[in-house]
Amino acid sequence: MSTRADELQEGLGRFLSAKQGVTVTVDAPVHIPGGASRETWRFGATAEGFRQGMIVRIDPETSLIDTDREVEYRAYAAAFGAGLPVPEPLFLESDLAWLGRPFSITAEVPGCSASPDGMPPEHRAKIGAQKWTWLGKLAALDPDTLGLEGVMTPTTRETCALEQLEYWAKVIRDDEIHPNPVAEAAVRWLRRNPPPPAQKLSLVHGDYRTGNFLYTPEGDIKAILDWEMAHIGDPLEDLAWSLDPLWCFHSPQLAGQLLPHREAARHWEAGSGMKIDHEAFRWWRVFAAVKGIGIWISSTEDFYRGATKLPILAMAGWLMTDRQERILTDYLSPHSPHIYVDSLT
Amino acid sequence: MIPRGSDSLGHLAMRIAVDLIPKASDAYAATDMGYFTVLLSLVGQDFDRVADIAVVEHEETLSIFDAAAPHLVDADLKRRIAEAKAKRLPSFKTADLNTRGDIETRLLIEVHEAVEAAVDRGEAWAGALDAQIWRFLDGYASRRAYDAPF
Repeated sequence: MSTRADELQEGLGRFLSAKQGVTVTVDAPVHIPGGASRETWRFGATAEGFRQGMIVRIDPETSLIDTDREVEYRAYAAAFGAGLPVPEPLFLESDLAWLGRPFSITAEVPGCSASPDGMPPEHRAKIGAQKWTWLGKLAALDPDTLGLEGVMTPTTRETCALEQLEYWAKVIRDDEIHPNPVAEAAVRWLRRNPPPPAQKLSLVHGDYRTGNFLYTPEGDIKAILDWEMAHIGDPLEDLAWSLDPLWCFHSPQLAGQLLPHREAARHWEAGSGMKIDHEAFRWWRVFAAVKGIGIWISSTEDFYRGATKLPILAMAGWLMTDRQERILTDYLSPHSPHIYVDSLT
Repeated sequence: MIPRGSDSLGHLAMRIAVDLIPKASDAYAATDMGYFTVLLSLVGQDFDRVADIAVVEHEETLSIFDAAAPHLVDADLKRRIAEAKAKRLPSFKTADLNTRGDIETRLLIEVHEAVEAAVDRGEAWAGALDAQIWRFLDGYASRRAYDAPF
């Protein structure tokens, strides 16, 4: 009986041979754990004696008609072209003839790990410095020069924040299994307290956090991953998401489990050449928790209604919704101990 | 009947973690099974507390509705609150408790929005009720807190 790995090995071999015009043989693909949004496999492709490691990311069955894969692929291409550490994008394919679903292929970045838990303690501060410096460099790029026109929705410095808010408020309303009084209160707070216009527009990664980059055993970041939520917007959105207490829930003093929040902010400012507007940042921190709830509610909804059987979607969805609600009440409740507020000042 | 879901499901999770994950065919399967153990723990925690949360929040929500009632100007909202209060719970099954809780929570969201608007207008009664609702939301979040190792 043919396994999923067998099917992919055969389909990828046919695809790469057709694209390269030579016979390409493919190693048995290995399923990479952890990917919640795409089915991700590692494999080697050999042609004319040369072998290259590759990663294929295959759309889930539930999102055949969306365009996230093109957004993600073009964001990879833009970041790669701008000199940021990202895997080299190789192919974007929407023809179902090869693997039955659309997919993209990037070069493998060998010898690295993405696991926050496996990170060598002695390298955490070094990795953190790189993490927020790279994010600052991403913020500094001029999005008009990145070839993203027609792929990402245009926005303005004045409107990008509320556009993002309304997008995620709608996701929460559309996908919720139960009503969410904490998230709704936070959405109303965000609407009543809009931030100042963005200092500039940037390519926003959309999910920049520890766990979404690859690092070597020596503590060097080699690749920023998972650009599927990339869009044009306020660079403070990425900074706030990266500093969300969710990513350091049991050690809130260490941003992303790496280094103190103020140091992270300092590296971001050095990389971006911008100064953090703290009034705007406070808005984006609350927004980050609302966006998180939107993401987690969506994933639990997919699992609850049977659109996916992936346990990571259920586990992450329920656990992270709980934590994000506690973060929001900490930010907004008049009775809160404010464990997480003002971490940058 | 299983008296404590968290204990029983915890035993299952332990069996997966100790005996089955080491025999997993590959890293992907082992990771999935690891997620199962966490999910079992979450389900067990909810099993033990769901009725308590539903009853406590029903009482607290009705208290908020009673405090808000004299001040609400939206007649339709007042009517729907009255309907919800008059509705008889068909059973104490989790699904029925959740259905009642969802109806009341949706009404609470509307009440909170109305109270916030009154706070913004400087109406004296609204501040205390807003604070009462936030106390409810603090409890809402903390009651749902999962105990998880990461």
